[in-house]
Amino acid sequence: MYKLNNLTFYYKNTEVPALKNINLEIAHGEFLGIIGHSGSGKSTLAKCLNGIIPHYQHGRMRGQVLFNGNPTETLSIADISRSVGSVFDDPESHLITMEVEQELIFGLENMAVDPKEMQIKVENALEAVGIAHLRNRSINTLSGGQKQRLAIAAALAVEPKILVLDEPTSELDPIGSKEIYNLLAKFNKKGITVVLIDQKVELLARYASRIIVLNQGEIILEGSPREIFSADEKLNKAGVDIPQVTKLIKMLGFRYGKLPISVDEGAACILENMGIGK
Amino acid sequence: MISNPIIQVKDLCQNLDENHFILNKINLTIGSGEFLALVGQNGAGKTTLAKHFNGLLKPTSGKVLVDNLNTKYVKVSELAQKVGYVFQNPDHQIFHNSVEKEISFGLKYLNLPAEEVKRRTDDALKAVGLVDYRYAHPYSLSRGQRQRVALASVLVLKPNVLVLDEPTTGLDYRESMQIMNMIRSLNNQGHTIIMITHDMSLVSTFAKRVVVLNKGEILLDGPVREVLSHQEILSETFLEIPPISRLADKLSVIGIPKNLLTVEEVYRALCDVRGAEK
Amino acid sequence: MTVANEYIPGNSPIHSMTPLAKIIWTSVVMILALLFNHPLYLLALFFSVLLVAKIAGVLKVLISTLKSLFLFSLILILLQVLFTKEGEVIFYITEYLPVTKNAVYLGTAMGLRMMAAVLSFLIFLLTTRFKDIIQTLTNNLKLPIDYVFIFMTALRFIPTFLNEIKQVKEAQSCRGCSLDGWNPLVKIKAYAAVALPLVLVSLQKADKLAMAMETRGCGSGPRTCYREQKMSAADLSLVFISILLAVFAVLARLNGYGTYQY
Repeated sequence: MYKLNNLTFYYKNTEVPALKNINLEIAHGEFLGIIGHSGSGKSTLAKCLNGIIPHYQHGRMRGQVLFNGNPTETLSIADISRSVGSVFDDPESHLITMEVEQELIFGLENMAVDPKEMQIKVENALEAVGIAHLRNRSINTLSGGQKQRLAIAAALAVEPKILVLDEPTSELDPIGSKEIYNLLAKFNKKGITVVLIDQKVELLARYASRIIVLNQGEIILEGSPREIFSADEKLNKAGVDIPQVTKLIKMLGFRYGKLPISVDEGAACILENMGIGK
Repeated sequence: MISNPIIQVKDLCQNLDENHFILNKINLTIGSGEFLALVGQNGAGKTTLAKHFNGLLKPTSGKVLVDNLNTKYVKVSELAQKVGYVFQNPDHQIFHNSVEKEISFGLKYLNLPAEEVKRRTDDALKAVGLVDYRYAHPYSLSRGQRQRVALASVLVLKPNVLVLDEPTTGLDYRESMQIMNMIRSLNNQGHTIIMITHDMSLVSTFAKRVVVLNKGEILLDGPVREVLSHQEILSETFLEIPPISRLADKLSVIGIPKNLLTVEEVYRALCDVRGAEK
Repeated sequence: MTVANEYIPGNSPIHSMTPLAKIIWTSVVMILALLFNHPLYLLALFFSVLLVAKIAGVLKVLISTLKSLFLFSLILILLQVLFTKEGEVIFYITEYLPVTKNAVYLGTAMGLRMMAAVLSFLIFLLTTRFKDIIQTLTNNLKLPIDYVFIFMTALRFIPTFLNEIKQVKEAQSCRGCSLDGWNPLVKIKAYAAVALPLVLVSLQKADKLAMAMETRGCGSGPRTCYREQKMSAADLSLVFISILLAVFAVLARLNGYGTYQY
C-alpha cells in the first residue's frame, strides 16, 4: 500500500534531517509497530504517511512516498484520508466538535458521503469501538479513554483501509491502553492495516506483526518482534526498552527455540532450561 | 506508626456536589523521606488527592496538615517552599527565554540575596543534569529536558516534599529512566517523594511504599512488595502487575519466592535455585 | 467565572424548535435591546428572556452566569455615576460625587440591555445542538463553511481554554508565584506568567486541531449534509411573533415610546 523510497525530510529552518533515507514498504493487512526515542522521527514518519507532510507541514523533502503507487505530493490530505484514518495522542486537542455523533458526521460530510448512508456508518463505527451508548453525549463529559475511542471511531467512520496512530495510548492507564490494542487487533483481523507508533514495548511485542525501530531519523532495525528484541545492542543505542521477560531470559543466557516475549513463553522457557516440565 | 510525619491527611473528603464525592474519608500519614507511589486507574482520585498536599485544593471536610500547618489557612505560593508539585505537562509553566531564568523564576518572590539565588539555581541545574543548557531556550529542548526544567524550577524553592504527577508521560524509555534516577537520588538526599502513576513497573522499580486509590478511597497502603502480593484486589482496580512479577509467580513451582519486583530480583532468585540444584 | 455555553439535552418546546427560528428570536431580542433605552421597557424585555429560559428549563444553569452579568451591570452603573453629572440629584456620596437619576437610569438601561442580549444568545446555545447550528448557518443562511467553523471552533475551545488557564495558574502558584496579592504591579507581572504559557499551549492545541481537521477531509470540496431541517408550525409562529414584535417596536420607537429623555 505504501512504498517509501529514500525518503529524507528536513523541517523548516533545520539543518538536521528528521528522517534520513527511509526505505519502507507497508503491505496490506500488516500490524506495523514503530518505536524509537523521542525526536527519532516517529511522528514525522506518520505525518508523511497521512499527507500532513508535505501538504500541511512544509519543509525540504527528498525521495518519495508512494501511496497505492501515487506520490503523496500529488494527492491532497483529503484524498489520502479517504483510505487512511489518522489518530493522534491527546484526543482532547484533536476532537473537533462538541458532540459524539457530530464528531463522526463531520468527516462523513466533508467526504461527501450520501446522507442516507451516514446513519449506518455512524452506528457501525461507534459499535466497533464499543461506545454506541454514548452517541448523544457531549464530548466534554467523556473520560480520556472514551475520547480516544471516539477519535478512533471518527477515523473509522469513513471506512479507511489503513489506520495510522501516533501514540494513541499515551494518556491512558494500562487497562485503557490494552483495550485500545485489543480494538486495533480486532480491526486488523478484519483486514484493516494498522500502523502504530508507541513506546509501550510490552504491548507492541504482543500485538505487532512487524516492528521498525527508528534512531535519529533512520531505520536501524526491522523485523518481527522476536527479531527486534534479540538485537540488544542496537535497541540500547536507540534508547528502546525490551520486554522484562525477554531481558531476564537474556541475562540467564538460556537456550530458546524462539525468543520468549510474553510471560507464558518466558515461564515455559525457564522451566525447560531448568529441566522441569515439557 | 510513622515517626516523622510531614503530611497528615485526616478524614479528607472532597465532594463534587452533595451526592458525589471524588475523595471519601482519606486517612494517610506520609513520613519525611519516604518514596511513595500513588496509584490507581484514571479517575480514581490520585491527582485530586495530591493537589491537597500543597493546598491547591482545600478539603470539603477533614483536614490536611503539612509540616503541622493546616493547608486551609496557608497560601499555595507559601506552601510551595514545603511541597513542590511538578505537573504532567511542563509547557504549562515555561515562559522564559532561557533555562536559567525559567528555573530561578520562583526565587524572585523570596527576596533572597543574589548569590543565594545563583547558588540555588546552580544546584537545581546540577540536580537535573542541565548545567550545559543554562542559556538554552527552553523550547529548543526535548520534552524530557523540559520536564527536567520544570522539576528544577520547583527544586530551587527547596521543598522537603516533591509531588510528581505522571513524571514519565510523553517521555521515551531513556528519558524516563533519566528522570526517575534523578528522582531517586533526590530521595536519597532526603527529599520526600510522592509520585502519581499508573505504571506498575515504575512503582516496583523505584517506590518503597504504595497507596492504591480506587473510586476515591484508599484500597491498599503498604510496602510495594506487600501491596503487589494482593493480586486479586489489584485486579479490581484494573492495575496491571508488572510482567516480571507475574512470571515469578508462575515459577513458584520451582521454588521462586512470590512478590518479586524487578528483573534483577528474579534473576538472582533463579541463580540461587540453580546453584542449589548443582 | 463559569460560562454555560454548551448544549443541554432537554425536551422543552424551545429545544424542539429549529435553530433558524431561535436565531431570529435572538436577533429580535438584540434589536429590541438596542432600540429602547428606557429601563422599564428593557426590564420587560429582560423578563421575557428569563421566561423563555424558564420554559427551556435552563434557568438553573444560567444562574452563575447571571450573577457575573449582574456584577458587570453594577459596574456599568457605577461608571455612569462617576461620569454623568447632569440631571436630578438623588443623593450625594460625597460632596463632589452626586448620584443623579440620569446616571442610575442610564447605567441600569445599559446593564439590562447587555443581560438581555447575552442571555438570549446563551439560551440559543444551550438549547441547540452544535451540529444543528452549523447546518442552519451553512444551509439556511448560506454562510461560508470556513467562517462557520471558525466560529464554532472558538465556542468549542472555551471549556478547553478555561481548563488551560486553571492548569497554568496552578503550575505557576506551585513555583511560589503569588497570583492573589494586592499590589497591582506585582499582579500584572504575575499574570505574564499565566498569559505567556497559555498563549503557547493554546497555539499548540490550535495547530493540533487544524491538523486533525485536515485529516478528516475538511475543506476538500463539496460536502453533503446529514439532516435537513424543516420549519414546523411552532417555529413559524415564533418567527412570526418575533418579527411582528420587532416591527411593532420600531413603529413605537418612531412614535417616541420607550425612550427616556436624559
